[in-house]
Amino acid sequence: MRESKIMLLQYLTGLFILVLGTFHMLLLSVLAPTSNKVLYQYASTNHTLIGGTLYYSTVTAIYHTLLWGSIFELLLTFLVFHIFNGFRIILSEQFPGAKAEKVITYSMLILGLVIFIWGSRTIVLMLLQGGI
Amino acid sequence: MELVLKGFGEVVKTVTFRVRRYDPEKKEMPKYMEYKVPVQRGMTVLDGVLYIKEHLDPSLAARYSCRMGICGSCAMIINGKERLACQTQILELNKDLIKVDPLGNYDTVKDLVPDLNKLFKNHESVKPYIVREEAEPYGEYIQLPEEREKYALFTECIMCGACLSACPTMATDDLYLGPQALAQAYRYIADSRDAGFNERLNLLDSKHGVWRCHFAGACSEVCPKGVDPALAIQLLRGVLSKNVFIKYKQNPAKLGPERASIKEVL
Ligand code: SF4
Ligand code: FES
Repeated sequence: MRESKIMLLQYLTGLFILVLGTFHMLLLSVLAPTSNKVLYQYASTNHTLIGGTLYYSTVTAIYHTLLWGSIFELLLTFLVFHIFNGFRIILSEQFPGAKAEKVITYSMLILGLVIFIWGSRTIVLMLLQGGI
Repeated sequence: MELVLKGFGEVVKTVTFRVRRYDPEKKEMPKYMEYKVPVQRGMTVLDGVLYIKEHLDPSLAARYSCRMGICGSCAMIINGKERLACQTQILELNKDLIKVDPLGNYDTVKDLVPDLNKLFKNHESVKPYIVREEAEPYGEYIQLPEEREKYALFTECIMCGACLSACPTMATDDLYLGPQALAQAYRYIADSRDAGFNERLNLLDSKHGVWRCHFAGACSEVCPKGVDPALAIQLLRGVLSKNVFIKYKQNPAKLGPERASIKEVL
């Protein structure tokens, strides 16, 4: 692919990561599915954790919705591209040359794919309510 | 007794020049040597260097020619910043110690003389001339003043090489085209008489071209002619983005810094 296309994708994914990452973070506050929006909620009588935004079942419940599942999948896609293309750029500046370029590009591609498949597996398993 | 040079004002003070000495032919490490130079009003750093050469140490090597900021030969790092030695007044530096280094990111020929081959090869590779489709010119090619304005700033380059020395990408990526060549590529692409965009595309859009600029802006900061290569690079990015769907075969870049291979790539 032409370097211009790759770099435009790099900038666009950066922008999307900012937007989707903001949503991701807002899930802890204004978009939190819990009524009182606290991160941890303890029982009034003892220190047992009973709810809150970061409570395991609250978190998994978010993943069970298709909308959030898709948002996370998109975020993962953009992140993997942005991060591994970034590594490719840094490394090919450090080790210029046709041969090194090839090795770097393919290694980053393979590493990126592995992370993407692993991350997608997590998201899909959560979406199908099986947990991980 | 202190020597007083003709053509300058009175001696104001004595300044220490700390000069980097290195001769690649001798198998010795680079070292700094100090020289005491009586500074007269009006003396530039180049005058100081020449004073050392003529009166203190004739083995010191430096390159210069016009002495008036036109030829670009005397660029060196003076007190940590790339400058033209002939345009830098010693008294304006307002220091008692003046550190002089050859330009960075180049090999050194000797002492303050950098090997500018990389600069010239990179410059040559972007076809720094008007490319036309017709084999022979058919007459006068008219250009409006507004059309000239688009690239006028970038015609000021005197090829001093200071921008490559200051550029952080240049320090890591041997194959990077560098701010000077990129600014000149834009100068010709933006010229209404030029038709060489596609011919330059492969090189500009390569893995070591336009996109490797991190926009540190050091090139523009040090350019003695105010060329603003960083701006040219961003403008080139705009041009490439607008033409992102043009198809062409992109060959991988060859290992540098010698860019003789560029001809094959193009
Ligand atoms: S762009 Fe400026 S700093 Fe770079 S070579 Fe030209 S004149 Fe020198
Ligand atoms: S000697 Fe020509 S620019 Fe300094």
